[in-house]
Amino acid sequence: MISLRDPSARKMLYLLLALVLITLVLMFSHVAKMVIIAMLLAYILDPLVVRMEAHGISRAAAAGIILAVITAIMIAGLFLTVPLIKEQMMQMSSGESSAKTDVALAQLQEVVRAKLGWLGYGDIDLKAKLHDFKAASSKYIVDFIVSDFAGLVITLVTIPFLMFFFIKDALTFKKQLIRIVPNRFFEFSLDLIHKMDQQLGNYLRGQFIDAVTIGTLATVGLGALSVPYFFIIGPLAGLANLIPYVGPFAGGIPAMIAALMEHGDLSAAGNVALLFLGIKLVDDFLVQPMAMSSSVHLHPALIMVACLAAANLFGLIGMLLAVPITGFIKVVITESAQTLKQYRFNRDITLKA
Amino acid sequence: MKGLFVRRKASEKTGLKESDLCKVLKTMPIFQDLTRRELAAVIRILHEREYQPDEIIFRENEPGLGMYIIESGRVAILSESGKLQLTELGDGVFFGEVSLLDAAPRSATAMAKTKSRIFGLFQPDLYGLIERNPSLGIKIVLGLSRLVCERLRQTNQRAFAFNEALQQMRHTEP
Repeated sequence: MISLRDPSARKMLYLLLALVLITLVLMFSHVAKMVIIAMLLAYILDPLVVRMEAHGISRAAAAGIILAVITAIMIAGLFLTVPLIKEQMMQMSSGESSAKTDVALAQLQEVVRAKLGWLGYGDIDLKAKLHDFKAASSKYIVDFIVSDFAGLVITLVTIPFLMFFFIKDALTFKKQLIRIVPNRFFEFSLDLIHKMDQQLGNYLRGQFIDAVTIGTLATVGLGALSVPYFFIIGPLAGLANLIPYVGPFAGGIPAMIAALMEHGDLSAAGNVALLFLGIKLVDDFLVQPMAMSSSVHLHPALIMVACLAAANLFGLIGMLLAVPITGFIKVVITESAQTLKQYRFNRDITLKA
Repeated sequence: MKGLFVRRKASEKTGLKESDLCKVLKTMPIFQDLTRRELAAVIRILHEREYQPDEIIFRENEPGLGMYIIESGRVAILSESGKLQLTELGDGVFFGEVSLLDAAPRSATAMAKTKSRIFGLFQPDLYGLIERNPSLGIKIVLGLSRLVCERLRQTNQRAFAFNEALQQMRHTEP
């Protein structure tokens, strides 16, 4: 019979209460999203903080320096990109297309009329359809930014601050977490946390480096090919790369459409396809072997289910976070199972009289 | 904002006077060369645990993660394979220190005999400290190496004495 007077049972109860509390917090998805992103950033940046500490800088000061640098990058990024994004959004919302696009659309319409007329698409007006689509999608993006502007600002301010505290007090948080674990499970928990820390650190930092590299390559490459909206599509391609299998297409296809619309030429779309093929090769043979040496293998079906479930629960950001979080859960389960085999939790010891 | 950029005293975190803990650590060969400031850094990575009588601290053949320092109380070191008590340790004594250097399984079981307050220093935290503060890390690892050397010397002396006794027994045998 378990009694609450037993310190181990009491600590287990506290642990359960903490888990319930965490679950409640997670139910407020927006807060959860911010907390998860801040934790991931703190986790990814930890080696940098450790390196600073090795040079005699205190952890708090190192966290402060990182906060200042991120704030500066965000402000500089806003000043640099907002006019560019605004211009590209205006161009998108105007719905006006270039003469080349009109020619390409007219040619495409002829092909559709000739070949697909029997399907009932003979009198389709591709130019009007494209205009409507561009206007509707840009209106959706503008509405999203305007309606949730306050939320966006709060998120952009809160995440770095949360990250600062997660970096500064990481050791204390870890120690406090261990403190509530009953003695019986103490060394096991410490061992488990350490193993997970090693695996997850490598995995998440690999994912981060991969996404940043692909995003940068895509932005620079698309810019060089004069593809419109390159400043939006490039970083999105980097983020989409977090989702295996689907990622490269999620970045490549919109870029190809944008290039086709802008230049009215199939070769422009072909150049973009070649660019993304090149990026994929660089990713597979250079970035991934270096950045993701200890990757967590996830089954494609599991990735698909995780992405769909996360998209349903937490939207686009949820979808992007789905793979790292699924990786995290897989590491927790596999490491727990492996570590569990090495420990015995029964208390019976028989000694010679 | 107070405390944001000021390191909290170890005593605030452990609930024990930092000076008392420093004194305990200073008696240990691993930490005897450390300054007060360096000892405070070590105290920050210590885990404070309280054990009830007959409560297991660690068990034989489980992965060895680190060492324990008895602040107060008594701990029995048991051989489960031999089903006997090897020794009993008291205040200020440390055990399991070899686990800081390698990941070999524990060679014995440790069990609290009385209500005991124990501090644990573990390999992952020590490695973290070495990364963050390499000069302090080197001092600790040197201290550990000295301790292991001392143990090896003692073991050699015992082996030598044992060998001599064996030789004498052989000579005296009819």
